[in-house]
Amino acid sequence: MHSGQASRPPGRLARWVARWSPTTRRHFRLGMLFIAPWTIGFLAFTLYPMLASLYFSFTEYRFRGTSQWIGLGNYRQLFQDDLFWTALGNTAYMVVIGVPLLLIFSFICAVLLNLKVRGQSFYRVVYFLPSIVPVVASTMLWLWILNPNSGILNSFLGIFGLHGPNWFHDPAWSKPALILLGLWGTGGTIVIYLSGLQDVPVSLLESAELDGASWLQRLWHITIPMVSPITLFNLITGVIGMFQYFSQAYVFGAAVATVGNAIGAPLNSTLFYSVYLYQNGFIFLKMGYASAMAWILFFIILGCTVLLLRFTENITYYAG
Amino acid sequence: MTTRKALTLVALALIIALLLPACRSAGPSERVLRVWITWGDNPAQIQALFDRYGEANNVRVEVTAPVEEERILTALSGSNPPDVLVLSGGDLVKSYAQQGLVEPLNDWIQSTGIDLNDIFEAPLDQCNANGTYLCLPWGTDIYALFWNKDLFEEAGLDPERPPQTMEELVEFADRLTIRNPDGTLAQIGFIPDFSWSHLDLYTRMFGGFWYNEDGTELTLNSQPVIDAMLWEQQFYTRYGPDNVLAFATALGGYMSPDQGFYAGRVAMMVDGEWQVGPNFIPHFRPELNYGVAPFPPPADHPERAGTAVVQGTVALIPSGVQDKEAAARLLAWMMSPDIVAEEMAANSNLPTSRTAAQDPRFAQIPNFDVFLNLMGNPNAKYIITTPISLEVNDRLGQIEEQVLHTGADPVPLLNEAQAELAPALAEALSQ
Repeated sequence: MHSGQASRPPGRLARWVARWSPTTRRHFRLGMLFIAPWTIGFLAFTLYPMLASLYFSFTEYRFRGTSQWIGLGNYRQLFQDDLFWTALGNTAYMVVIGVPLLLIFSFICAVLLNLKVRGQSFYRVVYFLPSIVPVVASTMLWLWILNPNSGILNSFLGIFGLHGPNWFHDPAWSKPALILLGLWGTGGTIVIYLSGLQDVPVSLLESAELDGASWLQRLWHITIPMVSPITLFNLITGVIGMFQYFSQAYVFGAAVATVGNAIGAPLNSTLFYSVYLYQNGFIFLKMGYASAMAWILFFIILGCTVLLLRFTENITYYAG
Repeated sequence: MTTRKALTLVALALIIALLLPACRSAGPSERVLRVWITWGDNPAQIQALFDRYGEANNVRVEVTAPVEEERILTALSGSNPPDVLVLSGGDLVKSYAQQGLVEPLNDWIQSTGIDLNDIFEAPLDQCNANGTYLCLPWGTDIYALFWNKDLFEEAGLDPERPPQTMEELVEFADRLTIRNPDGTLAQIGFIPDFSWSHLDLYTRMFGGFWYNEDGTELTLNSQPVIDAMLWEQQFYTRYGPDNVLAFATALGGYMSPDQGFYAGRVAMMVDGEWQVGPNFIPHFRPELNYGVAPFPPPADHPERAGTAVVQGTVALIPSGVQDKEAAARLLAWMMSPDIVAEEMAANSNLPTSRTAAQDPRFAQIPNFDVFLNLMGNPNAKYIITTPISLEVNDRLGQIEEQVLHTGADPVPLLNEAQAELAPALAEALSQ
């Protein structure tokens, strides 16, 4: 229509579009229309806030008024902040110790739930149920279970003459307590493993059995390698999830703290990365600082994921 | 084709129907004012109170109490904040003000005729930032010592005589503490950080605070702060921190009949004036035989008797409010002595208005006079706040936790915090 545009040689994309039939064009428009809610949502509520937070991470953020550009100031300050390292260390503990434990535990549960026994579906439901309990509710429940005096776990240990730890109130036991809580809610991971176990070819297992392989040998040499893509998936989602560990720790700090600060109690042992980020942004009102933390976390997670993918390339078996 | 058009129309209609409620705004006949309150012992009573303003002024006042703290920041920085926000303490106000979220009230105080002389000085001071009023105190809280008379009698103490000095409190607490044969605790005399920290009160009793009096300097490692922490620490070291912590975790929730003091498992506690009112002790344990007295001073400083830290609820107008005049009028109504008296008497909070304090309803609440007298005491001090109050409080909380629960020496911890936070305060104040 406009001469200026018409005179420019059309690009490859434009040439390709020009060859579309009217039906294709209509389908394209309709398709775009149908995907529009997602596109708009993504642009407005994911991409824009992400880019905005990148900008804010270089500023001293003001909730009203102009934020002041301070370059790398927030990042520099972060690396000198002891609590930043404490938070990172606590989070690393959960990732390095918690995630493998969660994977092993859910794999064992899945193997057991895959056995052909009476009431199989009943057991499956029982193991899945905790994962649909809201996090706040399950955390409160575990606060009662792990109550050093009246809690059921320490009472149970007491039967054997064992003196249970102070769990949530002892900085040495608060993270193990949270991992225990996590083990209880692994239903989702178990289900994914279960579906993976169903895909292990029966023919392989049967021929191994005919060759005289024991149950353990079949598990080690056939089942575990066959579900390795599932393990990788669970590992990566587990690591990503654990780096962002928040709700349980937040609820728990509030319930545990007796003195002043509710966040990270006891003694900053549950001050996880996201919790500290929240505290800086929404309690200390240092939103620029919190944004910088968010971006560092983004790159840590990205780096971990890339490393995991690279190192597991040779030990992950993709059938077909 | 027609089916498709019909379907498109239906889809569009559905989308519009879904979006419409979000865009709905109150018509001119239904003007709405929104009040958010971060506490809410009795939400129905508060709503009923504000309904009276609504009826008299042909507006609808929507009260949200208690409002989740997480919502406040988003609302304040957004385009549609509540018209009046009531916070349970003044420690956030200066931080919010620094972010430009709070409307300065000086002009509105003048134009609506709020009488500042009628407001007690101690609570008013926490809203004053170099002559600019960022908020107004609505209700006030003061902490005192509660003691269980029955447990005193069982321990062979005079049930009508609370401890007279901080040293005597330690001694009484020891006599009121009962151990099980296995060394665990069955009853405890006093937990210094019971329910939450009372470091402010203890530090004042030792003659200082963690800021200088005008809040321009940080004094975290000053002797009064150290003394207060060491005084608190002995209640833990004496019985073993693990024992005390294990005992404390088994106690019931704050608003429950099993709360440690209500249940007779903690013999003495520091708590506020609302306890004697209808929503707390008389509600959860009407039969509790207890007394209330001002928290005692150290033996060598009897002149500090009656020292109390005045805190309390403050009301402010967010800077993003569109119709500030309507908000200011509502605030002025809230601050009028009649309304202050009514609201505070209903919930047994201390009124901030001198006129309201004369209201006969306060005299009818048993033990309330202890708190009223404390507020009138020249030793009553307001809590000093700064733009970095929350960071300082958080840090102090961490140190207090380490000192009390692990037996750490407070001095190096306080020195370190002082070195780190003093420049932060200077920087915040220079902006």
